[in-house]
Amino acid sequence: MSLALIVMLPFLGAVLPALMIRAGRGACAIATGSVTLLAFALLLTHVPAVLRGEVVQVGWEWLPALGLNVTFMLDGLGLLFAGLILGIGLLIIIYARFYLSKDDPMGAFYTYLLLFQGAMVGIVMSDNILLLLVFWELTSLSSFLLIGFWRHLPEGRQGARMALAVTGAGGLSMIAGMLILGNIAGSYELSVILQNRELIQASPLYLPALILILGGCFTKSAQFPFHFWLPHAMAAPTPVSAYLHSATMVKAGIFLMARMWPVLAGTDAWFYLVSTAGLATMVIAAWIALFKDDLKGLLAFSTVSHLGLVTMLFGFGTPMAAVAGVFHIINHASFKAALFMNAGIVDHETGTRDVKRLGGLLFLMPITATMAMIAAASMAGMPLLNGFLSKEMMLEEAAQTSWAGQGWIVPVLATLGAVFSVAYSFRYIVHVFFGPKRDDYPAKPHDPPAGLWLPPALLVALVVLIGLFPETFAGALVRVAAGAVIGAQVPDFHLSIWHGFTPALWMSVVAVVVGLTLLRLYPRVRALWQAGPHPEAKAMFDAVIDSVVLASRLLVLGLHNGSLQRYLAFMIGAAVVLGFAAFFGTTHAPGGRDTLPVGWAVMVPWVMLLATALLGVVLHRYRFVALIIIGVVGLVVSIGFVYLSAPDLALTQISVEVATVILILLALYFLPKSSPIESTNGRRLRDALLAGVGGLGVGALAWAVMTRDFATLSGYYLEQAKPAGGGTNVVNVILVDFRGFDTFGEIIVLGVAALAIFALLDGALRGRIARSLEGWVPDDPVSADRHPIMMVVVTRVMLPLALIVGVYIFLRGHNMPGGGFIAGLVVSIALIMQYMASGFGWAQQQMRVDYHAMIGAGVLIAAATGIAAMVMGYPFLTSAFDYFHLPIVGEFELTSAMPFDIGVFLTVVGAVMLALAQLSNMGLRLANLPVNTRPMDFDPAALRADGGKER
Amino acid sequence: MKALAVAPVFIPLITLLIGIMLRPYHQQVKVVSLVGAALLTLVGIRLVALANADVVLAVQLGGWEAPYGITVIIDRLSAAMVAITGIIGLAAALYGLVREGNPDVLRNFHIFLHGLLAGVCGAFITGDVFNLYVWFEVLLIGSFALIALGGGRRRLSGTMTYVVLNLLATLVFLLSAGLIYSSTGTLNMGELGLIFRAGEAPPAATLAVVMMLVSFAIKAALFPVFGWLPASYHVAWTPVSALFAGLLTKVGVYAMIRIVTLVWPEYGQAHEVLLWVACATMLVGVLGAAAQNEVRRILSFHIVSQVGYMILGLALASPLAIAGAVFYLIHHIVVKANLFFIGGIAARMTGSERLAAMGGLYAKAPWLAILFAIPALSLAGIPPLSGFWAKFVLVKASLADGFWWAAGVALLTGIFTLLSMSKIWNETFLKAHPQGEKAIRIDDEMRWGWWAISGLAAMTVLIGIGAGPVMEYAIAAAGQLADPVVYFQAITHPGGR
Repeated sequence: MSLALIVMLPFLGAVLPALMIRAGRGACAIATGSVTLLAFALLLTHVPAVLRGEVVQVGWEWLPALGLNVTFMLDGLGLLFAGLILGIGLLIIIYARFYLSKDDPMGAFYTYLLLFQGAMVGIVMSDNILLLLVFWELTSLSSFLLIGFWRHLPEGRQGARMALAVTGAGGLSMIAGMLILGNIAGSYELSVILQNRELIQASPLYLPALILILGGCFTKSAQFPFHFWLPHAMAAPTPVSAYLHSATMVKAGIFLMARMWPVLAGTDAWFYLVSTAGLATMVIAAWIALFKDDLKGLLAFSTVSHLGLVTMLFGFGTPMAAVAGVFHIINHASFKAALFMNAGIVDHETGTRDVKRLGGLLFLMPITATMAMIAAASMAGMPLLNGFLSKEMMLEEAAQTSWAGQGWIVPVLATLGAVFSVAYSFRYIVHVFFGPKRDDYPAKPHDPPAGLWLPPALLVALVVLIGLFPETFAGALVRVAAGAVIGAQVPDFHLSIWHGFTPALWMSVVAVVVGLTLLRLYPRVRALWQAGPHPEAKAMFDAVIDSVVLASRLLVLGLHNGSLQRYLAFMIGAAVVLGFAAFFGTTHAPGGRDTLPVGWAVMVPWVMLLATALLGVVLHRYRFVALIIIGVVGLVVSIGFVYLSAPDLALTQISVEVATVILILLALYFLPKSSPIESTNGRRLRDALLAGVGGLGVGALAWAVMTRDFATLSGYYLEQAKPAGGGTNVVNVILVDFRGFDTFGEIIVLGVAALAIFALLDGALRGRIARSLEGWVPDDPVSADRHPIMMVVVTRVMLPLALIVGVYIFLRGHNMPGGGFIAGLVVSIALIMQYMASGFGWAQQQMRVDYHAMIGAGVLIAAATGIAAMVMGYPFLTSAFDYFHLPIVGEFELTSAMPFDIGVFLTVVGAVMLALAQLSNMGLRLANLPVNTRPMDFDPAALRADGGKER
Repeated sequence: MKALAVAPVFIPLITLLIGIMLRPYHQQVKVVSLVGAALLTLVGIRLVALANADVVLAVQLGGWEAPYGITVIIDRLSAAMVAITGIIGLAAALYGLVREGNPDVLRNFHIFLHGLLAGVCGAFITGDVFNLYVWFEVLLIGSFALIALGGGRRRLSGTMTYVVLNLLATLVFLLSAGLIYSSTGTLNMGELGLIFRAGEAPPAATLAVVMMLVSFAIKAALFPVFGWLPASYHVAWTPVSALFAGLLTKVGVYAMIRIVTLVWPEYGQAHEVLLWVACATMLVGVLGAAAQNEVRRILSFHIVSQVGYMILGLALASPLAIAGAVFYLIHHIVVKANLFFIGGIAARMTGSERLAAMGGLYAKAPWLAILFAIPALSLAGIPPLSGFWAKFVLVKASLADGFWWAAGVALLTGIFTLLSMSKIWNETFLKAHPQGEKAIRIDDEMRWGWWAISGLAAMTVLIGIGAGPVMEYAIAAAGQLADPVVYFQAITHPGGR
């Protein structure tokens, strides 16, 4: 239980700093520090058990379906890392309290720091690799926040983003690797996976899993060729660099290699991948570090180099190399964190981290200088300090390793790395603290307050103590941690200062001598370096990002250039290609149904259809003409319905055709009357091709369907319409009963469409469009006789007749062709005629109906019919009917479908009229057209009233 | 129970009608809209609870037995979709309480919102191919009205693209629905599934399903027919674009999942095509996003790329993969709608949608930054947020079936998404505002938006941490899809009078 608490404490405590910052910076730091201290204390309670060789475990299920459990374990390796993370974390918290300026949001800083700390502890204590992945990604994120902490610095933002990109990509690669690993082992529990070395290494998926997992480790630990992000992450505040880039985050990759060592190590693939990457990183990064003028840059590359060293050791795959690796992790963490903090002190007190502007600080900052010298000497591997011990062990192992059969490669390169390491370490000492005092420091240098130098001093003390008494201070920890890495018996070893005159000692001597010589000849070496090529990682990274953006811009502009025609071409093209692919992918037999004889009655409309369709293509630029042609197509289709004995469809088609053509004509009035030619011939050819092939396909489908008999539902409908639905017009019964839900949906569509038109035009009539309408001159000549007297008279006479026809069609609908939809259209057309004949203004005054309410009422009535059935315990829309008798009228039928049909009727009329009314409103806006308040331009009635005088 | 089955359509519909009737009373319309959305959410939650107890609601409307009447059927997937639709609708209605711009536009938003919701819910609960078409039309007409809200040249030109391309998709759907009926003699999805699974489907029916999937693919914005989406989403008013981003493409995805699992339960040729399409969609979408410089344009391309993941799950066809697709669907709707809300709020505060002209929000509105970070990281698939589990399951399923390249594409898309989100983060939040801090406007009207985005962000966190139950639900939903006994029972069960 307390194990989980160690992980959770930093997360839970992360809210504290944000709250405590109100109580002051000191309180905030103390709160943060106590969280970490508590976690550290809890960790210490487990030390005896772990040192006895036990593995402490605790766990719960989280997502059992996926194999993810919250299980934590603490073994030697976990203890080592958790101790480093929490212990150094505590020092960093103290240090940061004094480092951050008053303007920095300290609360946020500590919150991020604790989140990061929790994620790191989570990584090293997870027993489940999926859980480990969760924490792994959390470290990438929290470090993104920490690196970009100084958000006013663009380098900070860019550095953070680069770090996120590289480590995030690595994390994804690791997810894939871990998934494969889990699949091979059959479990995501580390304790199970670690038992299955033979199974995993024998699997054909071992290599991909290895490469993917190493991808995660190498990016996180900044191994060549993924090392480039780390120096750019140095834009972070120094406490962050000291924490993340010395002791913790970059070691996560190392940790994972150590963790997976028992199952992944020992193969050739492992050796060549890991040790080569480590070796290359160690040498190259040390070489670059030598020429960095920014103190943190120097330390950053030095970190990369030392991580390479540890990676290489783990890559060797021998138990003794693993011991050396573990030991060096401890040593590196101590001296490197101390050095980072030291660099921070120099920066803080002198105002610069540029080596070229420093020098001679020895007597100005004696405490700082002393600590720097000890820590840097340890980094160089000088005797009596801890860095020396683990470097000796490394050189010893290197001396025994042959690479591709060549025994000299590894030792020579390892020595070379050590040479550079000595050189840059002493450069840190000599170029910063020695030499003449200067008088151009940006600030007056002096030793910092104790809060800043005490934390690194503790680490420096550790450097010396482990250096002098390795077995006492580190022996037990190294043994138990190495035991966890190796997963078997730890080889017998003794940590001591003196091993005799071994090859490693001579290699060390060579390293120190040559390294110091290099530093002595520094200007010349530097000139040599200047002459060589300097691949700049950031530039390359930016170039990669830029080229991705450029490539995607090209791609996107190709696919997505804003042209409606192109999108349409893609869509129709996709439909055509897939349709034909499906067609040719299956076998077909011609349909067996006999075709009908073709008579004149069929031939003539058919030719008309073809002719008008072709005409439509040719004349589509003349919009009025095209509209009329489309109208003809619609009429021919309705003739077809009549011929094929579908009177309901024919009626609907005709009335819809009339109503829509009139509405479109009204709308066209405000639009240009012809379309400009915009497309090139090539584009037209493409479109013709698509249209032709698509049309052929649809035609073929229609043919295929019509030449076959298929089982339909019609039989049931015909049979049930009268007895169960109460009507003999099957079409109507289907519409209002069998499939009333569809009709219900469709009237909503109609109603909402009308409301949408209203809203759109209503909005338009207020703004810029209204003003342009007012200044608009009709582009066609306006009729002198806008409201011809004959038409007015005829439509007036016709109106009651038309309305009665509407009612008639409505009432007979259930048994004969007709129904609410058609009746609604008929009535609408009759009303539209009034508007056309007598003018918008006058007709509007006569029609005092709120069409919105009419639509609403229509849908509501239809819904109520359906709901009434539900209230009575039947499914929605269940219908009922009965026959009644009244004198004179005789027997008649009432059905519950009738109110439903009334709803349809009202909605249709309301929708058409609302659209018309709104178009009329646009007409009324035209400033240069007189608005008629009388039905006719020339009103005979007015003439009579005025006593025969001509107005 | 039977009333509950049609309630997802009726609640928004009645709300719509009351809204129409109350048109002149703006405040009342808003209250009604909010109450309607809340009720829909409650019904959705109740449906999920029922579905989780393995109850499948099936009603034969009008009492006409299947396949003659229309079947409404709510299984786990449908129930979850209805619930999530209610939640997004509620968030949009909350945001819509803001007072800005023309009051008529705000009122109309609250009316048409429910038209859209009715259509979306109708599509989720119907078990009939033609009825599905009808609900597609309802949601389409609602979305036409919504996207054009407020007018203006830029918006209307986006609307034009949206309308034309969506009408084409609907036309293709109508064509295929006709073809389905005339080749199989049924419109009932369950019977259709039976015919296909028995191997008795005539070639024309196969073709019809293919055409239907083409039209759904347009709706879902898959490669190469996604053009309408990035061309239009960024023009709409913030809550409208959030609503669209959350729901519209997902109706297409839902329909694809429904039909494909029903007619082709086993991995086959169609799945292979879908797999390629899914991978291309993920990559093209995320690359398209990299080329954009406006918040909502970036986010729009990410919708495309994210839909690819869901289709990847569908294409793999294994139970785990389908469960992944379902989980992805649920997670994504919440996350994506939220990002659009936040993008809109950020644009309102900084006065621009162009990244270059934005900035400074981290300092002025740190909570907005945190609220952005949650869905943004979830979108990129960072644990322990919901998106991680969604991606994780799909990658796992891809690897399990040996499609390592599909897993690779999924992971690669993840990293590009992360970069894209960090770009928005750096430009909008971290960087200082180019015109100085004073250019950032914070007013009290945003409080409604805060409620919406905090609620959705909380959901994202909850789905992430409580991924266990959600995943179990998704797995059970996938089980129902793989073996849609309920659909088949709806036919054989004599529901007639």
